[in-house]
Amino acid sequence: MLRLITTRVVLGILTLLAVSVLIFAATEILPGDVASAVLGQGATPETLAAFREELGLNRPAYVRYLEWFFGAIQGDFGVAMTNKRDIITSMTPRLENTFFLAGYAALIAVPLSVSLGIIAAINEGKAVDKVANVISLAAISVPEFFIAYLLIIIFAVNLDWFPSLSTVFADMTFAKKLHVTALPAFTLTLLVAAHMLRMTRSSVLSIMSQPYIEMAFLKGLSRTRVVFHHALPNAAAPIIAVIALNLAYLIVGVVVIEVVFVYPGVGQFMVDGVTKRDLPVVQACGLVFAAAFIILNTIADVLGVLVNPRLRKPR
Amino acid sequence: MNEFEYKLKAAERMARSGGMSRRDFVQLAVAAGLTIPAATALFSKSAAANPVKGGTLRLGMEGGSASDSLDPRTYADSVMIAASLACMNGLIEFDNAGNPTGELIESWEVKPGAAEWILNVRKGVTFSNGKALDADDILYSIAIHRGEDTKSPAKGILSAIKEIKKVNDHQISVSLEGGNADFISLLGDYHLVVVPKDFTDWQKPIGTGAYTLESFEPGVRLVYKARGDYWKAGRGNFDGVEIRNIQDQAARTAALQSGEVDAVNRLDARTVNLLMKDKNLNIVRTKGTGNRYCFVSRVTDSPFDNKDLRLALKWGIDREKIIESVYSGFAVPGNDHTLDSFNPYYNSNMPQRVYDADKAAFHFKKSGISGPIELQTSEGAWNTAVDCAVLYQESLKKAGIELSVKKVSADGYWDNIWLKQPFCAVYWGRRPTADQVFTQVYGSASDWNDSNWRMPEFDKIVAEARIELDETKRKELYGTCQEMIAEDGGMVCFAITDYLDGYSTKLQGAEPHARYDMNDNRIAEKGWFA
Repeated sequence: MLRLITTRVVLGILTLLAVSVLIFAATEILPGDVASAVLGQGATPETLAAFREELGLNRPAYVRYLEWFFGAIQGDFGVAMTNKRDIITSMTPRLENTFFLAGYAALIAVPLSVSLGIIAAINEGKAVDKVANVISLAAISVPEFFIAYLLIIIFAVNLDWFPSLSTVFADMTFAKKLHVTALPAFTLTLLVAAHMLRMTRSSVLSIMSQPYIEMAFLKGLSRTRVVFHHALPNAAAPIIAVIALNLAYLIVGVVVIEVVFVYPGVGQFMVDGVTKRDLPVVQACGLVFAAAFIILNTIADVLGVLVNPRLRKPR
Repeated sequence: MNEFEYKLKAAERMARSGGMSRRDFVQLAVAAGLTIPAATALFSKSAAANPVKGGTLRLGMEGGSASDSLDPRTYADSVMIAASLACMNGLIEFDNAGNPTGELIESWEVKPGAAEWILNVRKGVTFSNGKALDADDILYSIAIHRGEDTKSPAKGILSAIKEIKKVNDHQISVSLEGGNADFISLLGDYHLVVVPKDFTDWQKPIGTGAYTLESFEPGVRLVYKARGDYWKAGRGNFDGVEIRNIQDQAARTAALQSGEVDAVNRLDARTVNLLMKDKNLNIVRTKGTGNRYCFVSRVTDSPFDNKDLRLALKWGIDREKIIESVYSGFAVPGNDHTLDSFNPYYNSNMPQRVYDADKAAFHFKKSGISGPIELQTSEGAWNTAVDCAVLYQESLKKAGIELSVKKVSADGYWDNIWLKQPFCAVYWGRRPTADQVFTQVYGSASDWNDSNWRMPEFDKIVAEARIELDETKRKELYGTCQEMIAEDGGMVCFAITDYLDGYSTKLQGAEPHARYDMNDNRIAEKGWFA
């Protein structure tokens, strides 16, 4: 089992290395160059040349990659090309905000959707199951900004329960932060809950058709007991995988929500970086996103091994 | 409150902003149940409302990003322009009609020929670090935009300076390469803000403005507090100012409606009519000073080297329809050049070109060209450029001209399409002077002459007007320039948008300005809470 886990971790690191090369290559082939994007319509050939020189864009790509990579593993992403601020210092608070919102949404969404999924599985075909299905399908079928604007109109403009601007600042108390970010957290919950709910329901149900479950029923156990003691442990691996996928989505895929709620997360930071061709910023964000994705998936794999009785004790 | 009281409150607001006469006001107030003397007193109180100190102004603005910096050499959009003017001052300010007035340059003298200038530096102004303003600070603040290796966008407009030197502590003399009667207006460029001599720490700016910077998170917010004792009387009235970056139009509108901010810029033209009905909001519209939307053909590329084709393209665009359906009427039609009617040299004798399918068809036939004309457009040019192009396609079709609209990637649009493709969508911003418009957009020497229309005789007229100190003659010369461009140039300039700002009704001092929205991005300095 230890070997299995080690393999997963090593594979994760190798993936991250490969991704770092891809990110660097991708930012190299973006159309346009940083100098003209930063200076915009105000650029003249002389100012462009001066700026390119200053940024070191004249040196070969592999030299810049190696410098960047060794800096990055030591936690140094350099300074932003556009405003000369240290990238780690500008990115850290935004990253914390992203994790805060993702954690907030996950704390509501994961227990909610897993328990609803189990309830739906227990009551397969009954009214509860159908209602849960319809609501969750409806929530993922409309675009995220639509849900967001709907919540803003109802809860911010009409009822005035929550602010429409969810910007958090360092000097806010924890309770205040929870209050101002309530609307984006609810929106995200609606977005990710459906996927997890349906996955939980269907993995539990697919286990339910196995012979040993029938055996359990034949022993005269209640449906609830069968689901919790016999089906759920075996269905856990796919559920964990889908939770990890959704957590990763909460971290890397919420740019639209950040824009609508004016939430200073790392997604908007990256989009600004891309539009201004601020390559170091884009690369840093890309690497952090990739790392979040890979780490969460590796954890999911390892957990999947740990909870599965058959993988835990290989013959 | 009953209906009359609502109306009375609205009338008070109008009286305060000068939008209502005493007579109208008193009539309404009497109808609402007030006696005539009481109504007259109320009018005087409202109309003469003096700026009141106090309160924290919260602005929600588009036009900033995570890559913003307070270094004036990097300013490109509204948030940083407003941010710089909260803590710093410019050399020249513009009044609401657009005429240059003194700011840190208090006054000026010009010698005939407009090449020799004397600038008088304002006395009795101190920086936030206590230093008194003198000529050296001004010289330094101009010098950072000049020289070989600067990347300042203001480099171009300052390149006309041959020599600039200190006469004494409060006087500077400037000699230009050639005469330029607009030199003072050029000094009003928003990049030219003043810091103390040798200042370099842009994360903690030192300025002569009404406020000092407390904190700055690029792309999120800027926080200021009042310095107290601002040198401009009646200005800088708030205790604190907060500029929040809100890129999303709907989010900005919602924040204004729910009272989380006191003012926002760039409202959505499609929904602004609904906001105007909200009695807690004051919508300020500045007509036709915003972006100039154009389809630009390169007159040196085939088939656009044919003047008749260019005329067909100009007659064949339905300006009114585009303005009505894309901008909900919040724009004025362009007359195929980028000078707006607020400019004192705007040629109002020149008839406005309107959609005429017959004329378009006539010129198209005369040009002898057949087959589709390709237009490249993109959301990267401006967000509604594709919609405009599609409407253009329809109106040309009625004239028998086939336009194929090619939508290209927004990414890298200004690098790969603009100045390179023969026919594409382009917008131009406002330029402070007519000379700048004609030199930068249409001058032979300009790198940005996107229609590649380079005419020595046109350059000659522009050069003549530049040093002409007689206003009537100057207006004539610039009038000819506009006629030449509209008749022969490669640009179909079809719309100039309005600026639409939204304010809470308790915020005063929100007037339209000839230059930029949000009272020339100086609402933090000019406004106050009633």
